[in-house]
Formats: sequence, structure tokens, C-alpha cells
Amino acid sequence: MSAVLKAEKLSKWYGNILGISDINLEIAGGITGLLGPNGAGKSTFLKIAAGQLKPKIGRLTVFGEPVWGNPGLFRRVGFCPEHDSAYNEMSGGAFILLLARLHGFAGAEATERTDRALATVGLLESRGRAIKAYSFGMRQRLRLASAILHEPELLLLDEPLRGVDPLWRIRIMQLIKDYGRRGRTVIVSSHILPEIEAMTSEIVLIHQGKIFAKGDIHSIRGLIDSHPHQVSIRCPQPRQLAGQLIAGDFVSGIEFAADGGGLTVRTGQRDRFFSALMPLAAQAGNEIAEITSPDDNLQAVFDYLIGK
Amino acid sequence: MKSGSPLPVIFAAFFRSGLRAKRTRVFILLAAVPALLMIIVRLVDPKESGDFFTKVMLSLYFQLLVPVLALFFGSSIVNDELDSKTLVYLTTVPVRRRAVLLGKFLAAFLLAALLIAAGFLFCFLAAALHRLDEAAAWGELGLFLGAALLALFCYGTLFTAMGAFMKKSILAGIFFVFGWESVVQYFPGVTQKFTVIHWIKSLLPVPPGEGGFLIFQLQPSPPLPSVLVPLAAGALFLWLAVFIFERKEYILSDNA
Repeated sequence: MSAVLKAEKLSKWYGNILGISDINLEIAGGITGLLGPNGAGKSTFLKIAAGQLKPKIGRLTVFGEPVWGNPGLFRRVGFCPEHDSAYNEMSGGAFILLLARLHGFAGAEATERTDRALATVGLLESRGRAIKAYSFGMRQRLRLASAILHEPELLLLDEPLRGVDPLWRIRIMQLIKDYGRRGRTVIVSSHILPEIEAMTSEIVLIHQGKIFAKGDIHSIRGLIDSHPHQVSIRCPQPRQLAGQLIAGDFVSGIEFAADGGGLTVRTGQRDRFFSALMPLAAQAGNEIAEITSPDDNLQAVFDYLIGK
Repeated sequence: MKSGSPLPVIFAAFFRSGLRAKRTRVFILLAAVPALLMIIVRLVDPKESGDFFTKVMLSLYFQLLVPVLALFFGSSIVNDELDSKTLVYLTTVPVRRRAVLLGKFLAAFLLAALLIAAGFLFCFLAAALHRLDEAAAWGELGLFLGAALLALFCYGTLFTAMGAFMKKSILAGIFFVFGWESVVQYFPGVTQKFTVIHWIKSLLPVPPGEGGFLIFQLQPSPPLPSVLVPLAAGALFLWLAVFIFERKEYILSDNA
């Protein structure tokens, strides 16, 4: 499949702050997740892809054309920015209608596309209300409507699930998946691995401005799963539970909480550990109140993967 | 169905939102101040208000309200989009940036022109109530209004270009209006011709009893250059604004 988006030796920095560095990347059709911790360079990459920023070095093309200074390309590209911005005095309907007209649609078609986009994100009933009266989640959905109203072939979504309530989170994920199934290209960024996993298996890991890995999520999951995990457990008798867990060869260390109400277990085999933990959790004295993983976040995973 | 030029779409949308903006309401109140002043003077001394009209127009409108109005409307054309981070919506549609800037400029210019014209009309009615049947009185209103629109165009385009170039252009604009324009217009020789106000004042009548042109030793230029120079300068500033806006990279937030 030919590349929809192609970056060659792409670098961007702001003063002496690095945005992205020497990125070579090709993205084909379907959904691609751009995954990385905050500050990794995801937004910079998407902004260059959306023609908002100029590359400092290298080039980025979409459908074989450079993006910067090429407004005609936006007939085929939709962009949902990360920041919470809107014309607050306008109504949601007037805002989307304005964009529909700027996309070249006139009369009834502009109105029909506006209504369809607003209905897709559940804002049709609120179309007459001023945007300043919208909740954060509603404004996020409005931004998504602005990106999809012209049904672009390439959809660039920068953290589209941020601030959205759980119900709409699921619906938006479904919307993105439907979009991908219809043969369109979607590049969606997030710093939350399960969000990306729920939408696609094709991911690009970005860290400190560089592409760290690219490919199927299962192979990357394998790397992540071999990462030595820490699991904190709150229970009434932590020493009893520790005695039962230490018998397994999957535990590499245990520390007890200072208040005597829990323990932290280190393991290199997360699946075996949880398989062993579940039956123990049902035993008397092991009533587990809480299980948390202090390092179960993307930053920790990246730190591990890059060998810190 | 595909629509035509995006410029009228941008113009109409931003003219409507400009009408509802808080800034416009503040300027409606400011533009009403000279008219109220004129009414008070007319009530106190009905015979005096004819000359007072010229003085009010020159000092309040031409040296204060017109440049300040142009400053706020002109600099807001790009700066508002940067402050509210909404520029992204106008630059991810298949529309050239020049159409965005020109559409927004036309909307801001018309709004400011309507405010000025309404203020002038009320001032004029208060001042010339006893001679509304004289063609000369209406001619005087036309002269003042034409000069004000010319000033608004020249200042407005200058501040639009400054707004496209720098983020906090309003500070530079304040320095220009209350520093450069206020001081240099009174310098002798050709120096004063490097101000907008010199050309505008050259078009206006001298208030009686001033003993010269206005308060200080301003040397008026002939009428034709006084029209052409601000028009040409305005066109140059507008071209510059478009040139900058089409090429400049605007960074809307802390980039991740």
C-alpha cells in the first residue's frame, strides 16, 4: 500500500527546545496510533502534518504534496487540534457552518453537512447554544466535528479523547474505527496505551522527538510485557500474602508498606504473577482492597524500553 | 453545490461576531462621548457650538478615537486568533491565507467605519442643528467623514500588518499613536510628513482663532497628495500584512 503521509529526515525545534528530530516515517491507509508520553513530539508531528508548522529540516508530504502553504490539500485532510480553542461567542452550529462554507459547500449542502457532523458527535441539539456555554467535553466533540465535516481522506486527531466522558469516549473510538474501515486514513495521538489499543493495532511509538518503534501493537506489547513490573497491593495481612507469593519463581522482590497495610511486588512475568494472585485473593486474610501498578504508565515503559 | 470566493463568507461571519463583541460595545460608548460633549456645549452656549465641532473633531476623533479604534480593530485581526488559538480553524480549510486576512480586515474596517460615522453624525446634528438646511454644513460633515475613513484605512492597515508580524502589537501601536504620531507631527520641515496625522490634518479646515494650522506649527500639504499618500501607504501596509500572514509560522501553544 502506498504511503499517504511520508516524513523524510524531519526535524523541528523551537529556539533551543527540541520538538522532533530526524524522523523518517511512512504511514499508509487505515488507523495509526501515535503513542508517546506528554512532550514526546506527537503534537509537533501532527501540526507539521496539518500545515500549522514549518519543518526546520527535512520534509513531510501528504498524498505526495508538501503541506505548508498548500491550502488546497485541506479538501482531503481534516485536523482536530489538541488545545481547547473555539470562537466562544459563536454558536456551535454557526461555527461548523462557517467551516463548511470555507470548505466550499454552499446553501443546503453546507447546512446538511453541518447537521450531519454535529449529529455524529451528539451536538445537534446544542447547535444553537454559544460555544462558551459548552462543557469541555462538548467543545472537544465540536473540534472533532470540525475535522470530519468534509469527510476527509486523511484525518489527523491530536488527543481526541481528552476530556470526553466515558460514553462518548467509546462512541468516538467507534467512529474512528468506522472511519478506518471505510478505507480512510486516520492518525490519532494519545499518551494512553489502552486508548490506542482499542482503536488500532498499528502504532508508532514516539519519544523525545524521535520515532522509537513502529509496527504491530502486539510485538510492542511483548516488549512492554517483559518490562519488570511493580504491583502494589493493599490487604489486611500483607505478610501472609507475601509468603504465598514468594513461593513462585516469578517474584523478584517484595517490599512492605510502612503502614503495614500493603506490599509492593516486583515481577518480570506479569501474566504468571496475576494468574497466581487471583486464586490467593479469595483466601481468608488476603481480602485485597486495591491493586495498583506504580510504573504502569507510558513514561515508565518508555524509560524501560530505552534502557534507563 | 460548491460556493464561490471564501472572502465574503469570512467577511460576513466576522462582521456578525464583531457586532456582538464586547470591544465593539466599549467603542460605541467611547464614540458617543464627543456627541454628548457637543450636546452639553450646545445647551450651555448655542452660538458657540459650530467652531467647537471642528475642535472636537480634530482633537478627540482624529488624534484619539480614530487611531485608537484602528489600533484595536487592526491588531485584533491576527492577534485575537493567536490569543484564542483559533487560527488553526482558518488555516486548515482550503482557503488561501490572504482571503482570511482580507475578509477579516474588511469586516473590522466596516465595523469601525460605522462606529465613526454614527459618532460623526450625532456630533454634527448636535452642532449644526440650526443650519441643517445649508449645503455647506453637510459638505463639512462629508469632508470630516472622508478624512476619518482615510485615516481609519491607513492606521488600520498599519496595525493589521503589525498584528500579523508580532504577537503583542498593541503595545507597539500605543507607542506609535501616542509617541511617534503625537510628537513628530509638530516637528518642522518634512519630518512631520512621516506621520499619518499630518496628511489627514492637511485635508481639514483650520479652526478659527488658532493663528496657524491647528495648535502648533504644522505645515499643511496640498489636498491631492494628502489623499494619495495615506491611500498609497494603506495599500502598502495591507500588502505587507498579507505578505507576512501568508508566510509566517504562528505557534499557538506549548508544543509537545
